[in-house]
Amino acid sequence: MKRRSFIGKAALALVTVTGIVAAISYLRQFFPRLAGEKQRVALGDPQLFPVDTYTFLDEHKLFVYRDHEGIKAVSAICTHLGCILEKSIDGFECPCHGSCYNDAGKVLSGPAPRDLAWYRVSRAADGKIVVDPGTSVPASEKFLSS
Amino acid sequence: MESKGTPDKKQRVGIITRNFFLHIHATRVHVHSMKPTYTFGLGIILGFLFLVMVFTGVILMIYYTPSVETAYQSVKDIVNIVPGGRIIRNMHRWASQGMIIVVFLHLIRVFYTGSYLGNRSLNWVIGVVLLIITLLSNFSGYLLPWDQLAYWAVTIGSNIAASARELTDLLGITNWLDPGGFLKKLLIGGEVVGQPALSRFFALHVIFLPLTMLVLMGIHFWRIRKDGGLSRPAKYASDKGGENKWYAWPVLMWTELALLLLVVVVVLFVAVVADAPLLEKANPVFPENPAKSPWYFLGIQELVSYSAFAGGMLVPLLYLVFLFSIPYRDREDRYVGEWFSGKQGTTIVMRSALFALLLVVIQLVVIIRFGWLRDWFPGISQWFVMLINPATITAGFFVVVAEWIHWKTRSTRMAALVLFTCSMVALVIFTVVGIWFRGPNWEFYWSVNQWPVI
Repeated sequence: MKRRSFIGKAALALVTVTGIVAAISYLRQFFPRLAGEKQRVALGDPQLFPVDTYTFLDEHKLFVYRDHEGIKAVSAICTHLGCILEKSIDGFECPCHGSCYNDAGKVLSGPAPRDLAWYRVSRAADGKIVVDPGTSVPASEKFLSS
Repeated sequence: MESKGTPDKKQRVGIITRNFFLHIHATRVHVHSMKPTYTFGLGIILGFLFLVMVFTGVILMIYYTPSVETAYQSVKDIVNIVPGGRIIRNMHRWASQGMIIVVFLHLIRVFYTGSYLGNRSLNWVIGVVLLIITLLSNFSGYLLPWDQLAYWAVTIGSNIAASARELTDLLGITNWLDPGGFLKKLLIGGEVVGQPALSRFFALHVIFLPLTMLVLMGIHFWRIRKDGGLSRPAKYASDKGGENKWYAWPVLMWTELALLLLVVVVVLFVAVVADAPLLEKANPVFPENPAKSPWYFLGIQELVSYSAFAGGMLVPLLYLVFLFSIPYRDREDRYVGEWFSGKQGTTIVMRSALFALLLVVIQLVVIIRFGWLRDWFPGISQWFVMLINPATITAGFFVVVAEWIHWKTRSTRMAALVLFTCSMVALVIFTVVGIWFRGPNWEFYWSVNQWPVI
């Protein structure tokens, strides 16, 4: 009798554990391993970017700014709900819910919860100028091209 | 009494009980349940609309391809090349919108007639789950045409799912605990809406959600019978006798058939006169301006335009918690089956509606004319932006007033009436503002004609 109840309990425990493991492995499938990997963006020749201008790189959803000193890059994705920003006269504007940022990417008005992210611009080993969307830097940091 | 040719009582009972599809009905129904002004047949209309969705959906599924490259063109083909495709797609679209409207009407009917009372709490909860699944089905279908409307609505929707980051960022714990990112990844399978999102939404839309809905609908209908038929006022509660009960066959069957025909005719008529929208193909770098979600989410989008987390997650979740908890907090069975719970209830409902109207409109006037916290105090902490806005203020006021009425009347039903009425009125106003009074950059305009040309 004692042995029987032990075996019964053991079987129940085994089924429960198996069930939990199976459920976790099954649910794990819904989360892709490769998602949102942030790849570095090659800018090409910095001289090709117009001076004192924010250039929109549509494929990478970035604004690249170049002046006589150097070059820097800012995310063009609104921190509120992910719409693509438009360049206004002295900053950036979101068409979706009207968030406004200044030229340094700081939130001025609207529901945006965070300032825009500036990304590190550097020279890669092969000599190309690249933007790294995985690394945020202060708005003041520039890659000195000359 | 029985005229020649009509089946006798035994046969009438037999027709219902022997048939697999009919036996979901009781063999006899109470005369109160047959009153058209009591239920308005809303639940069964939803069932019929679901049938329309399934039948039209299967045809659309045959011609549609869920791929980023070809989805848009396949929908164009359905509209322009497949014979009758345009009508089928229109029917699918308008029946789905019909389901949204009717599911809310059904919720409203069941609430105001106190039909969650008695032993019906579980069925109320199943009903709320069905409401959520109806909204999710609609939303998941919205992405499939892969046009501009679809792409930006889902971009916004998926970022609302991620908006818990607003809170975790403020707490500085996003790197360790990121429920927002988790939810977003589960929903769209990545950081931005792309092929993984389309595949996921397709699977949700054609298999997971309809199947879940079908199963829950079965339980929902079955529970009505288990719980003693449709709800009715206390004075009929013990009515077991023959006087007030009709045989389901054939009266109820004819009524249902007529309703089915009516539903199909109305959907078909709307589908013939109005085309489902299809904008240009999705362009991931150029949002529509204004980028609006489907109309039934525009109330939430209006709230989201103050704070993504408060308006898109916190307040809607609180609202759902409220809906789920109604039958467990309010157990005053004497109000079952009676519209607005009598005279006191009617007064409270009307006053609540007026109060909610004033509270919401005043806040909207302030925010539209004078701006909000960030316009008055530039550089104010995000905590204030998130915690003090029309979404949270409105919800807070409603809870306080409901508690006050609870204390004053000593009745949970009256408190529930206040909270339900207020939240419904607020939902309607925010939705109306989102639909008709918001233009480019989500600014306020009296009419579309005033929108600037971009």
